[in-house]
Amino acid sequence: MRPLWPLAVITFKEGIRNRALYGIFLLALLLFVANFLICGMILRDVGKVAVDVALSAVSFSGLLLVLFVGINLLAKDLDRRTIYMVLARPISRRHYIWGKFLGMAMLIVTATAMLGGCALLSIGSVRWAFPSYFPRFAWSPVLLALMLITLMLVLLAGMSFLFASFATSSFVTLILTVVSYLIGHGVAAIKALVESPAEVGIEVSATTVRVVKAAYYLFPNLSLFDIKVQAAHNLPVSWTYLAGTVAYGLFYTALSVTLAGLVFSRREFP
Amino acid sequence: MVKIQGVSKSFREGLRGRKVQALQSLRLEVASGEVFGFLGPNGAGKSTSIKVLLNLIRPDDGKATILDRDVSDRRVRQQVGYLPENPYFYDYLNADELLWFGGRSSGMTADDLRHKTPALLERVGLLEARKRPLRTYSKGMVQRAGLALALIHDPAVVILDEPMSGLDPVGRKMVGDLILDLKHQGKTVFFSSHILNDIERFCDRIGIIAGGRLRLVGELDKVVPDGETLEELFLRAIDDDFGGLPS
Repeated sequence: MRPLWPLAVITFKEGIRNRALYGIFLLALLLFVANFLICGMILRDVGKVAVDVALSAVSFSGLLLVLFVGINLLAKDLDRRTIYMVLARPISRRHYIWGKFLGMAMLIVTATAMLGGCALLSIGSVRWAFPSYFPRFAWSPVLLALMLITLMLVLLAGMSFLFASFATSSFVTLILTVVSYLIGHGVAAIKALVESPAEVGIEVSATTVRVVKAAYYLFPNLSLFDIKVQAAHNLPVSWTYLAGTVAYGLFYTALSVTLAGLVFSRREFP
Repeated sequence: MVKIQGVSKSFREGLRGRKVQALQSLRLEVASGEVFGFLGPNGAGKSTSIKVLLNLIRPDDGKATILDRDVSDRRVRQQVGYLPENPYFYDYLNADELLWFGGRSSGMTADDLRHKTPALLERVGLLEARKRPLRTYSKGMVQRAGLALALIHDPAVVILDEPMSGLDPVGRKMVGDLILDLKHQGKTVFFSSHILNDIERFCDRIGIIAGGRLRLVGELDKVVPDGETLEELFLRAIDDDFGGLPS
């Protein structure tokens, strides 16, 4: 832990003071205010909409944080050669990746805790204004949803580290991370669709099925971390599902960062 | 203390992957307590040699050791301080935090750091600016912060890549005094420079590199022939027809 901690701390400080973070927070704040206004306008399923919009705002802001602050934290080290000052210490390349990732994970947890706090405030204010629309509401599923969003973002950050370990530019890392996010959210549904095409009256070639199956096993299934519907309707989420999803997220994250460390340990910095 | 043993290194450049030989069988030794000046024109291989010593790049052939340990062993760097050419640091950190990182990652205790940080920052003239973000520093201030980072953990070996680069006369004097201090403390200093005056002032031994090959190495007062200046020797040594001098 000794070689990791100082690097994790300065990565966290560098990230939390980044001005891009203020923009992301401002956007999230606007979404939370918009939540109140939207609910005031539609006056239908207000409870569901309030929870859905608030959690989506956290998820979206967190995604921006990973894409525009997280990726930069690593990319800038390589582009501007700040990595020299780190690797000139008794820190191996693998330690470097883990230290940076730990700092990034701390940043994500802190940011989602703050955004989550605002989301809860936003839901609470809508509930206070329109109490009759919240007959089955409970806070615990919302908190669980926030926890899974955080884990999904940490996993995505881990994947971005894997891409950054071999990509030659931060733009490539950004594109690969966005693609992983999109595939990760849709691949389970697409797999179900291509495996039973007759049910929806479509024809799917064997190659397409193979490609979708390959994507399903290669990319993490991020839709597992999305329990907004359950939170909005206060539907039960089993502990088995939660434990399985957390274990899946942690395993995939550890795998991504370990692979990133392996790839990175072969890199040179001329 | 510092040994480079037959190190060769090549890089691939451009779309066609043209091979560029950066170092050719480089062999060099720097003894304990010595101030060694590494001279060479731009692109001669000075920074590449330094990066090999810091394991930032790996040799194709040969090996490098510091304190009898292969440089691929990360623990070696606990005893090494490094100032890169044109250092860049994290924008939103301040000098205090930079030194905290340097000290803690090199195994210093929080107590040691509390005592050493202000003294070192005062020494490099950054005590008053210690809480300012590094992105607000001038080039010379960044260079001095880099020097403090290289020295915070009291390393036995100090590697400085163009330490005077970007400094005004006051800054250059300060860095010069620091190098002399290190010399008096018995530290081993390996530094590259273009500025021949600095080399003459501080170094016990010099090495001249050009085209990735070491052209000359030896004690300063022995390698410069009578009636010749270091500048004249340097210009002769980097010429392709230079036959080499006894080292």
